[in-house]
Amino acid sequence: MKIKQIKKYLLYAVAIIVAIIFIYPLYILFLVSFSPTTTTLDKLFPSQLPVKLTLANFISALTQYHFVAPLFKSLEVAFMVGAITLAIAIPAAYGLSKLNKRLGNLIMVFLFIANLVPALIIAIPISVEFIKAGLFDSPVALALAQSLFTLPLATFILLGSFRAIPKDLESQARVDGMGLFRTIYTMLVPLAKAGVAAAFLLSWLTSWDEFTFAVILSPLKPTLPVIVYINITEGSLIQAAAFAAVVSIPVIILTVVLQKYIRGIYLTGGITG
Amino acid sequence: MKNNKVKLELKGITKKFGKKAVIDNLDLKIYEGELFAILGPSGTGKSTLLKIIVGIEEPDSGKIFLDGKDITELPPNKRNIAMVFQSFALYPNMDVYRNIAFPLKIAGLKKEEIEKKVNSAAKLLGISEILPSAVSKISGGQKQRVALARALVREPSMFLLDEPFSNLDARVRFTAREELKRLREQLHSTFVYVTHDQRETSNITSRVGVLNNGKFQQIDSFENLYNFPKNRWVGDFIGNFPMSFIKKSDSISWGFRPEWALAGRGTLTAKLVTNELVGDINYWMCEIKDGSMVVLRGDKPKEVGSTINFKLNKYNIYKDNNFVKQVA
Repeated sequence: MKIKQIKKYLLYAVAIIVAIIFIYPLYILFLVSFSPTTTTLDKLFPSQLPVKLTLANFISALTQYHFVAPLFKSLEVAFMVGAITLAIAIPAAYGLSKLNKRLGNLIMVFLFIANLVPALIIAIPISVEFIKAGLFDSPVALALAQSLFTLPLATFILLGSFRAIPKDLESQARVDGMGLFRTIYTMLVPLAKAGVAAAFLLSWLTSWDEFTFAVILSPLKPTLPVIVYINITEGSLIQAAAFAAVVSIPVIILTVVLQKYIRGIYLTGGITG
Repeated sequence: MKNNKVKLELKGITKKFGKKAVIDNLDLKIYEGELFAILGPSGTGKSTLLKIIVGIEEPDSGKIFLDGKDITELPPNKRNIAMVFQSFALYPNMDVYRNIAFPLKIAGLKKEEIEKKVNSAAKLLGISEILPSAVSKISGGQKQRVALARALVREPSMFLLDEPFSNLDARVRFTAREELKRLREQLHSTFVYVTHDQRETSNITSRVGVLNNGKFQQIDSFENLYNFPKNRWVGDFIGNFPMSFIKKSDSISWGFRPEWALAGRGTLTAKLVTNELVGDINYWMCEIKDGSMVVLRGDKPKEVGSTINFKLNKYNIYKDNNFVKQVA
């Protein structure tokens, strides 16, 4: 009884320490971006707690730089990447899940080849083709290019989710009157929603801070990572911190919204007594 | 069968997994209103056969006819055959009501109509109270009823059930069998179910098909399977004990059931190997001269190794392991 409780408290302690390690940089980022420079950068030993809060950094960052357009471009591209990835990875993963496991896994390994090659090597020829096709600076082109890297991982995640769904459920849906496509999209996809949410989130995040393709394919109407990069190199560290804070806010929102789906326990229940 | 109208017909169905033919050029006729059991040891392709009938698996060759119509090429959703899987396959993301309503929703019925049908199916199976429950919260027996209700709301042409009793505990199993019989009588529909346990076929079915090596070894009533096994394999498979065989010549042998032999007198002799109690009946497992085992019925356990005389009141003659005639 006592040992059990001690174990529980120890577990909590470890969880809290790990959480602090992960959250601390984020906290400092927000602290710096919301504090006037007099309390942070200008001090030799800056306070770890907010002394004085200000929105000045944000205001100057948002007004001095062309910020709104890159934000929307980034959002647009990231959601497109999520959508394109799911649109292709769902049928791909379903197909692979129907193959025997060894063959399916082998094909999966081949799909990962795109991720083994350094991005730059793939980025340049693709960019040349896209530019020739008149897709320079277009969000669709950037989304398609980034999907190259998100697709294998998304397919891999979805393959696992589809394989985890009992075969009988799919057969039952077919027997109960659903066609193949309807079964996939209205029965299997909801049952695999954890995988779908994870695949979408990872694709979205990959696109959100992707740099190589963004800087080559879309330098005139840049995305947020590119703008942040430009700011840092220009030396405006405080405003870069404000930017970085802005960049991380959508990530936090999306993660919080989707995290409730990213669990694996609800699939049992209806199967066997 | 009463009206002899063929409900389902399989012609020359073959299904191979790799090189092995799980179903091998199989023919079958099932009549309207039958409760037909497919019986066989595990791994003989019983479930595969059901899946071929319902359309989830495609046969490599052969044709399937439902009500005289060729349905071989139709996908499962166009066949109007209901199937209850061994796992019951309840949709975990829906409650009981939505599970039962599902096929009707897919068929595009109106909400009021769906409600009426779901309620009457639930009443028929006695599950009205659990309609709002989550499927993870109900018992195995209830899960089966939900699966059955979901199968019958759509008024299918026939029902297929894969090992319907194997996921139920022993107590529920008995009532479930009777219930299946009652359900068939009330719905006047055709039921085919698969089982590996002959006790689940003996008293409720019209006919039993014994499947082995991808073929039906014999299709008959359970009594006939027991009394007139068509070949030695069926004789061995059906009954509490394998049929006993006495070799008469190279090709001829006599087969008999324990209760067909009279132990204690007679000219045949056997040596007792072990006593076996089934219920309150004692059986003597014996070895005869040629080394094969015979099972006799004896009133009480005897010392192992003692010699027993017996004679046969009734026996079947088998030639090259195939039934010839019964001698009584």
